[in-house]
Amino acid sequence: MTDNLYLPKIGRIVGIDEETQGARAIKTFKVEFPNDDGFEHDCGQCAMLSMFGKGESMISIASSPLVKEYKQFSIMKMGRVTSAFHAAKIGDFIGIRGPYGNQFPLNDWKGRDLVFIGGGVGLAPIWPVIQTAVARRGDFGKITVFYGARTSSDIMYEADFEKLKASAEVQLSVDAPEEGWPGYTGFVPANLMDKAPSPDNAIAITCGPPIMIKFVIQNLQALGFADEQIYTTIENKMKCGVGKCGRCNVGKDYVCVKGPVYSWAELKSLPQEY
Amino acid sequence: MEKILNQEKLREWVDMLDDCEVYAPAFADSVWNFARIEAGTDIDLSHTNTIGSVKEFVFPQREVFFRFEKKDGVPVLTPTLPDPKPTVVFGVRPCDGRGMPRNDTVFNKEFVDPYYWARRDKLTLIGLACNLPHSPNCFCQSVGGSPHSEDGLDVLMTDLGDRFHVKGITVKGVEAMERGRDAFDAVRDGDQAEVEKVHDTSRSFPQRPLGNLDAIPEAIRENFDSPLWADMAQHCIGCGICTFLCPTCHCFDINDEVISPTTGEGERVRTWDNCQFPDFTMHTSGHNPRADLGSRLRQRVSHKFLYFVENHKTQQCTGCGRCITECPVGIDIVAVLERVSQ
Ligand SMILES: Cc1cc2nc3c(=O)[nH]c(=O)nc-3n(C[C@H](O)[C@H](O)[C@H](O)COP(=O)(O)OP(=O)(O)OC[C@H]3O[C@@H](n4cnc5c(N)ncnc54)[C@H](O)[C@@H]3O)c2cc1C
Ligand code: SF4
Ligand code: SF4
Ligand code: FES
Repeated sequence: MTDNLYLPKIGRIVGIDEETQGARAIKTFKVEFPNDDGFEHDCGQCAMLSMFGKGESMISIASSPLVKEYKQFSIMKMGRVTSAFHAAKIGDFIGIRGPYGNQFPLNDWKGRDLVFIGGGVGLAPIWPVIQTAVARRGDFGKITVFYGARTSSDIMYEADFEKLKASAEVQLSVDAPEEGWPGYTGFVPANLMDKAPSPDNAIAITCGPPIMIKFVIQNLQALGFADEQIYTTIENKMKCGVGKCGRCNVGKDYVCVKGPVYSWAELKSLPQEY
Repeated sequence: MEKILNQEKLREWVDMLDDCEVYAPAFADSVWNFARIEAGTDIDLSHTNTIGSVKEFVFPQREVFFRFEKKDGVPVLTPTLPDPKPTVVFGVRPCDGRGMPRNDTVFNKEFVDPYYWARRDKLTLIGLACNLPHSPNCFCQSVGGSPHSEDGLDVLMTDLGDRFHVKGITVKGVEAMERGRDAFDAVRDGDQAEVEKVHDTSRSFPQRPLGNLDAIPEAIRENFDSPLWADMAQHCIGCGICTFLCPTCHCFDINDEVISPTTGEGERVRTWDNCQFPDFTMHTSGHNPRADLGSRLRQRVSHKFLYFVENHKTQQCTGCGRCITECPVGIDIVAVLERVSQ
């Protein structure tokens, strides 16, 4: 008998961080596998998380593949399942199956500069890439991380950003002026233009709200980045995660299997159905 | 293996399959549909086509994946993998037979679906060639099939009037025939020629034409942004009949059903879903990549005649005509393809 792909493993929440407040609050959950049946994952992959009685949601694995003891997920409160996560406490059990999807081709990027551009909860899918790149610091050239949040209290992984400054250039921004804010004030695409990273031998990786991605990509192109140098992830409604329930397709690709990571060159060749 | 089965011996064969669940078309509530045949009952193979397709034997409308409950605060999951008896289905039309290998591809590729295969491995399909097109909307030949296609069938029966010609195609099919050994007679001189004649005649009836099948993918690609989709979809009421009755449509939803709110006991359930529903692709944020009727009709047609061809080198439509005949507002996939190809 093959594995029952729809049967989740049991996970236990061992840590909860409140990242942002408000109607669409974000919390980060650390999840362990109490039955020691955890799985390995690659940067960019996702997992189907369950709250039994509520259902399942596809969530990016936000911890680095190098971290084996737990997996981390940053979840925005949206509907049934994600709200159940926001109501959860440390010690609660969840369901987890995966990993699903493709990965960022980090190994193809050896020796190149990496420019990460994230906004809001869109930091989650690229966070493992940043962590892995930093852990393999010698493999890459300059590493720059742009990240923008609405206000300074909405900045995700705040403590980790401090550590990151030792190995990468960090460019934070907030949308509106704030007393004593040391970083950039304005939207992420504008901050990107302001710092104007060089496209020479560089790869840009961006993830965030669709409107942000749109302008980031326009600006990257203006800076001279070619379509093959730009990577992003896309999101479509998902149920199975395994290319069978038929809903997450963009043209001939099921995003749950062939995505969510695409170069802009690849994405341009697909119909705009996301 | 090829044999002859006299019409009146059909029941004898069915009776010898007594350790299997046997299904055959039955006429009830003004439609033909597959029904369970108890030992000792006659089966009637004079049907046109069943309203539901054989996919229901491997992909039921509703299927429980597992039960969940809490024991000492810890969730306990009990999978409910089916363990059916061997199942033999009579009277499967070749269009439905051809659907099955396409479904096999979907439920096999990349990840193996254990619920599907638990049923599929136990299923034997006894096909019946169509001597006449069973509906004016048949187009099996236009999509590369034929009224006597063996693709996906374990046995193909051909009606020769007073007797059937019965051909075992797969190991499973031959096995089913061997079980009914005593009911069969040897093929005699002239039988083969008669079968060929019946088959040749069956192919000579007019069907809905699709033109050059190989040109359709490009035609769809070129028309991706065309207003014709919205134009042709405007009457769609989003009922889902076209996909529910289709032998190759496989989209589904997964949801939790709570049985006891006090104990938190419940089931995770797979149910059929449909790409023509507005919420099929709608994100929680309200964003919907296929927000209008046109883009949803385009998806249904493109999935079958473009994406599946790109991924698996064959159409995901076998020309059974159900989606045309049963659509309450007359949306017609052949007419859509004709418009796209103009
Ligand atoms: C590849 C991928 C990665 C994602 N990563 C994250 C992440 O790291 N953090 C995060 O907060 N969110 C992420 N999402 C979005 C998240 O899956 C949805 O917000 C969530 O499923 C909404 O579920 P709900 O039960 O709260 O909403 P409801 O509307 O109550 O539930 C509807 C059901 O529809 C599906 N659904 C609805 N919207 C989406 C959507 N946008 N994407 C996928 N399925 C959806 C789910 O199956 C959900 O259970 C990701 C989505 C995808 C596709
Ligand atoms: S698309 Fe229509 S004609 Fe083709 S197999 Fe499905 S129901 Fe039959
Ligand atoms: S059967 Fe007709 S009306 Fe119903 S969803 Fe399909 S195309 Fe629309
Ligand atoms: S989520 Fe089911 S096909 Fe992608």
